[in-house]
Amino acid sequence: MKIKIFSLTILLLFISKAAAQEFKLGKVSIEEIKEKKHSIDTAAVAAILYKKGNSRLDYNQNDGFVLTTEVETRIKIYKKEGYDYANQTINYSISGNSKESIQISDANTFNLVNGKIEKTKLKSDGIFDQLVHKFLGRKKITMPNIVEGSVIEFKYTVKSPYVSWMRDWNFQYAIPVNHSEFTTYIPEYYVYNVMQKGYVFPKVSKDRKSSSIIFTSKERPDARGNGGATSFSQDKIDYFEDKTTYIIDNVPAIKEESHVNNIDNYRAALSYELSVVKWPDTPIKSYSSDWNSVVKTIYDYDDFGPELNKTGYFEEDVKTVLAATNTPEEKIAVLLSYVKSRVKWDEYQSYTCDKGVKKAYQEKIGNCAEINLMLTAMLRYAGLTANPVLVSTRSNGIPLFPNRTAFNYVIAAVETPNGNILLDATDKFSTPNILPLRALNWNGRLIRKDGTSEEVDLMPKKVSGDNVFMNYTIDPEGKVTGKTRRQYTDYNAMVTRDNISSLKEEEYLEKLENRNNKIEISEYSKTNEKDILLPIIETYSFTGTNLCELIGGKIYVNPMLFFTEDKNPFKQEVREYPVDFSYPFADKYNITIQIPEGFAVETLPAPAAITMEDNLGIFKFNIATNGNSLQLLVLHQINEAIVSAEKYEMLKEYYKAMVAKETEKIVLKRI
Amino acid sequence: MKSTFCGLFFFLFSLVSSAQKINYSTLSIPDSLKQNANAVLRLDQMDIVIVSQRSMNIKTQRVVSVLNEKGLNDIDAYQHYDKTTSIKNIEAIVYDALGNEIKKIRRKDFRDQSAVSGSTLFSDNRVLYLDYTPISYPFTIVYNCETETSNTAFIPQWYFLGGYYLSVEKCVLNVTFPKELGFKKKEFRFDGFNIKKTTDTDTNLSYIAANIVAQKQEDLSPSYGELFPKVMMGLENFHLEGVDGKADTWEAFGKWYGEKILNGTTVLPDETKVKIKALVGDEKDPVKKAKIIYDYVQKKSRYVNIAVGIGGWKPMLASDVDRLGYGDCKALSNYTKALLQVVDVPSYNTILYGDRYKLDIQPDFVSMQGNHMILAVPNGNNYIWLECTSQDDPFGYQGIFTDDRDVLVVKPEGGEIVRTKIYDDKGNTQEEKGIYTIDETGNFSGILKIASQGSQYASRSRVETMQPNEKEEHYKDYWGNINNLKLGKITFTNDKENIRFTEDVQINASNYGTLSGNKMMFVVDAFNQYTGNIKRIRNRKNPFQIQRGYLDTDEIEINLPTGFSIEFLPSNFELKGKFGEYKTEIIKKDNNKLIYKRSMFVNKGKYSNKEYDEYRLFMEQVSKNDNAKIILNKN
Repeated sequence: MKIKIFSLTILLLFISKAAAQEFKLGKVSIEEIKEKKHSIDTAAVAAILYKKGNSRLDYNQNDGFVLTTEVETRIKIYKKEGYDYANQTINYSISGNSKESIQISDANTFNLVNGKIEKTKLKSDGIFDQLVHKFLGRKKITMPNIVEGSVIEFKYTVKSPYVSWMRDWNFQYAIPVNHSEFTTYIPEYYVYNVMQKGYVFPKVSKDRKSSSIIFTSKERPDARGNGGATSFSQDKIDYFEDKTTYIIDNVPAIKEESHVNNIDNYRAALSYELSVVKWPDTPIKSYSSDWNSVVKTIYDYDDFGPELNKTGYFEEDVKTVLAATNTPEEKIAVLLSYVKSRVKWDEYQSYTCDKGVKKAYQEKIGNCAEINLMLTAMLRYAGLTANPVLVSTRSNGIPLFPNRTAFNYVIAAVETPNGNILLDATDKFSTPNILPLRALNWNGRLIRKDGTSEEVDLMPKKVSGDNVFMNYTIDPEGKVTGKTRRQYTDYNAMVTRDNISSLKEEEYLEKLENRNNKIEISEYSKTNEKDILLPIIETYSFTGTNLCELIGGKIYVNPMLFFTEDKNPFKQEVREYPVDFSYPFADKYNITIQIPEGFAVETLPAPAAITMEDNLGIFKFNIATNGNSLQLLVLHQINEAIVSAEKYEMLKEYYKAMVAKETEKIVLKRI
Repeated sequence: MKSTFCGLFFFLFSLVSSAQKINYSTLSIPDSLKQNANAVLRLDQMDIVIVSQRSMNIKTQRVVSVLNEKGLNDIDAYQHYDKTTSIKNIEAIVYDALGNEIKKIRRKDFRDQSAVSGSTLFSDNRVLYLDYTPISYPFTIVYNCETETSNTAFIPQWYFLGGYYLSVEKCVLNVTFPKELGFKKKEFRFDGFNIKKTTDTDTNLSYIAANIVAQKQEDLSPSYGELFPKVMMGLENFHLEGVDGKADTWEAFGKWYGEKILNGTTVLPDETKVKIKALVGDEKDPVKKAKIIYDYVQKKSRYVNIAVGIGGWKPMLASDVDRLGYGDCKALSNYTKALLQVVDVPSYNTILYGDRYKLDIQPDFVSMQGNHMILAVPNGNNYIWLECTSQDDPFGYQGIFTDDRDVLVVKPEGGEIVRTKIYDDKGNTQEEKGIYTIDETGNFSGILKIASQGSQYASRSRVETMQPNEKEEHYKDYWGNINNLKLGKITFTNDKENIRFTEDVQINASNYGTLSGNKMMFVVDAFNQYTGNIKRIRNRKNPFQIQRGYLDTDEIEINLPTGFSIEFLPSNFELKGKFGEYKTEIIKKDNNKLIYKRSMFVNKGKYSNKEYDEYRLFMEQVSKNDNAKIILNKN
C-alpha cells in the first residue's frame, strides 16, 4: 500500500514539473536558463524550446478579410556555435503598393545573473529593415547580451493583404524543437488545401465555432432633405469559423546527408493554398481542390493556355523546318532542336509566361514556360498530340497534393502509342526522354486541352550506360601504356556533354589526367559530340607511371587502373533519408591486359558476383587468362534512381564488397 | 576563426566616359587576344576627376566582347551605392558579333538589390547590376556608369588586367586632381606589359595599356593582386563619411585616425569599470591582466557586423558593446581596449588585412587600407595580438588569419607599421603516436593521439566544436584512405595555455588488409597520408608559393596478425631538398611487431615557375612512399 502512494506522489511531482514549462512569452524558468545541454540531442548548439503560432482571417470593413499571422518563439542557446540563432530574419513580400507588414514585439534575452533572472529588452537599435529587392523585404533582429546559456524570446505579427498566400509552418530546423504548435482560424467562406510533409507528423485537432461580422452602414438624407437625419444601421452576419491545431513535441534536428537532392523535401512542415472561396449568394470560386480544377485554373491563366494557342508567329519558319520530315520521331527531333537553337533560356523557372511566347520567339530569349509552351504549340502544329507537363524542380521540392503553387516548371510531352515522350528545350544537351536533372523530381502533371490531366512519372526507368573498353600493356618497370574508348549513353551522355562543354579542352584534359593517377593523355578525340541524339564517345591513349607498384621484384596492379572504385561513397553509419542517384545506371568494363615478357601471373582476383534484393543492383567481376593476356569483364548496375533509407545498409554493404573486389590486385612475378 | 570581413574598406568602383569610336564587331579581334580568353576587354577606361577634397566623380566605360559562357562574369556591369556614393548614370548597349546594336539597357532595367551578404547583418550599401542573358556568342557589351562620392579616402586601385582568361585590347586611366590635395600614386609590376604613362603632372595622371594577353589561373600562385600590374592612388587631404583627413605619413595617418575616428569611443559606464577592477583584483602583471580581460570579452560578446555610414570605419561606442554584447571587429577590439584602459593596460587598434592568404598593408603607401581590426598589447619590445571577434581563440593566438604580415598599429603618438607574429615552420607541428593491429582477416583496429601546435592548431582544433555528424564526416574524410572506417571513442584536450590541441581517437575498419590467395597486403602508413594533389600543369607561367611550413611526426606501433610471415617490408626512405625533408623508417621489434616512424617537414617559401615541377615530383615521391605496402604470407 505504501509503495503505491509513493509512486503516486512521484507521478504528481513529475506532472507538476512538466507543467512548469509554460508556453507563454515572458514565463522563462530558471531551469531553462540553467540547462547545460539538450536532454535528447546532447550535442545541440541551441534548441527551440517552443514555437507557437496562429494564422487567422479577420474581417475589417475597409479591406474585407485580412490574413494575420502571429508567431512566438523561445530559443535556448547552449553553445557559442549557437549564437547565430540570436540573429533572426523574417522575410516579407512586396507587390507594387501593397506589402505585408511585420511587427516585432516581446523580444527579450534572459540570463542568469547572481542566481536571478536578468531580462534585457531588444531595442530599436537591434532591429533592421532591409529592402532586398522590389519584391522582397527582410526584418532582421539581433538580440542583446547573448552568452552561453541565454534564453531568447521574440514574437512577430505579419499582417498580409494576400489572403491566397498563407505562410508555411516549419516544425523542423537544424536544431531540435521541443514543442511546436500551429493553429489556423478560417471562416467557412474560405477553404485551404493543407500539405504536410516530412518524417514526423503533427497531432491534429479541429473545432468549429460560430462567429459574426458586424457591418455598419450609414444612410444620409438625400439632396432634398428626405430621409431625415443621418442614420446608422448595423447588419450582423453569422458564420462558422474552423479552428485547426497542429502540435508536435520533440522534433529532432534535420541534418544534411550526401546523395540527397533537396533536404527541404524531408523537413516536417505545413504549407497552404487557397482552393475555394464561397461567399453567401455568390457562385463558388474554385482555385484548386482536385487535379481537374487545378488544371483548369492554370489553363485559364492568360499567360498559360492562350499562349499555347498562338501559332502565327512561328508558322512560316516551322513549315521550312518540318519540310523534309516524315515520321513523328523526326518531327519531334527537329522541332526540339529548332526551339533550342532559336530561343535561349534566361534561367527563370516558371510555368507561366513572362513576356509571352511571341516576344520570346522574336527576342530569341525566354523563360522555361515560353520555351516549352512554344515547343508544345509547334508539336501540335506538326500534327502531334502534344501537351504541357507541370513539374516541380528538385530545388522546389515534391508536389504532394493537388495545388497550383507546388509547380514551378513546365516541360512538353508527346503522347505516342508507346507512351509519352518528354521534352525540355531549355537545356542544350537534353534529348527526347532525357531531361535536365533539375526536372527529375517524382511526378509531373500532364494537362490536356479538354481539361483532363494525368500523372506522369518523371523518374527515369531506363538504365544509362557507361561502357568502357580498355586495353593496356605493362612493361617490366611497371609503366602502363594503353588505349581507352568510353561510350556514354542517355543521362550519362547528357551529363558528360555538360562537363566537356563547361571547360576548354586543355583544362578538361588536365583535370582528367590529374584525376586519373596523373596519367598522360594523347590522341584524345570525341565522337558524336554535336550529334546529341547519339551516345558520346571519348577515345584516348594514355601512359602512366603511377599505376603499378613494384614490390620485392613483383608487379602489383589494380586491373581496372584508374577506373577502380577504391572508396565507398556511403560512409554514414545511420541513414535518415533516401539515397538519390538521379537515374539508373550500368557501368560496364571490358579490359584486356598484356603482361610483360618474362613475367607470369602469381595471383589473380577470383571472379565474383553480388546481387541486391528486389533487383536493386548487380555487380559482376570476371577475369580469365589467355597466354600473356588477361581478359576482365566488370558490370556495376543500379536499377533504381532513388533508393529508400531502409535499403541503405544493403546498398552500403554492396559498395563495400564491390570496393573490396575492385581493389584486389593482380600480382605478376618473374619467371 | 571567423572570416571576419569588416566591410571596412571595400569599394568596387566603376565607371564612365566620353564615348570613343570603336568597331564593335568581334571579327576584328586579333587571334593573340583570343588565346585562352573567355572575354576580351576591347576598352577598359576609367576617368577619375577629383573636384575637391569632398567630391570625386568617376566615369567608367567597359567594352567587353564575350566569347563564350564563361566570359559572362567579365562583363562586370554593376555598381555599388549608398548615402554618400550616388550613381548619376548607368546604362549598357549590346551588339551582336558583327557589331550591330541589338539591345539597349537603361537604368531601370538594371536590378536594384541590397548588398548585404556574408557575415554582415545589416548595411545600407546597395548595388545596381545587369542581369543579361545572351542569345548567342560572341557578343559585345558597352557599359557606361558615372558615380559621384564625397569619400575621397578611397580612390580605386587600377588593374590593367582585371582577371584570368580575360585579355585586354586597350586600357585607359585618366585622373585629374587639384594640386593642393597631395595626390600620390604607386606603380606595381609594369615590367613585361605594354603600359605607357602618357601624362604625369601635378594635376593629371594618365596611362594607356594595349594588347595584354589572357592569363591562365594556376594552383599555388600568389594572389591576383600580387601578380599583375596595378596602380594605387591616394590623397594626403581626403574625406571620409563626413570627416576630413590629412596624412602624409603613417604616423600622421594614425594620429588622424586616433583623433578623428576613435576619439571618444572608449567611454564605459562606471558600473562596468567597478566590475572590471574587481575582476582583475590585485593582479599587477599587465599581460595577466590582459588575459583576464580577453577571457571576459570572449565570454560576453559575439560577432555581429552592422555597417551604416561612418559605422563602416568608426567603431561602435564601447558603452553600446557593453550594453548589447555584440559588435564587429572594430567594435570588439575597441571595447577590449576600453576595458584594458580601466586597469591601466595600454593597447592599440590595429588595422590589417584578415585573410588566410598573407596580405600586407603597403608600408610605403599611406592610404586607407585593410579589411579587419585586431588589438595590439605591448609586451616588452613586442606585441601580443588579440583577435577580439573569436570566442574560442587562445589568448594571443593568431592562427592563419592575421599572422606574418605588415599591419598598421594606431598609437596615440601616431601610426606605425609592424609585422605580426611569424609562426616558425618547425613550430607548426602535428605529432601522432599510436598503435594499430591487423587481425587474420585483415581487420584493423587502432588508437591514436594527435597533438597539434602552431598554425596546425588552428586547422585541427575546429573539430572540437563540430556536431556529431560533422565530426564523423571530418574523420572519415581525413582517413579517406581507410575504407569501412568506424569511429570509436574520441576525446579532445584543448590546452589553450600552451596552445596545443590533442585528439585521442579510437578507430577500426574491416578489410584494411586485402587478402588475395594466401597473401595479405596493406599500406603501412595508415594514419597520416600526404593528401595534397599537386597537379601537373602544362607550361606553368606563374611563380608559386607555400604560405606556411609545417612539421609532422608519427610513431606508430604495428601488430601483425598471427599465423603470417613477412614477405615484404618497404625499405626506409629519405628525401631532402629545398622544399623540405621527408623520412620513413620501419623497425622490426619481434616477429609480430613493427615500429613505423615518419617525419615530414615542409618549408614555406616563394619559388619560380621553373621549380614547380620539381616540387610536384618531390610531393609525388612522398605520396608514393606513403602508399608503400607490407606483404604477408599465410603460414
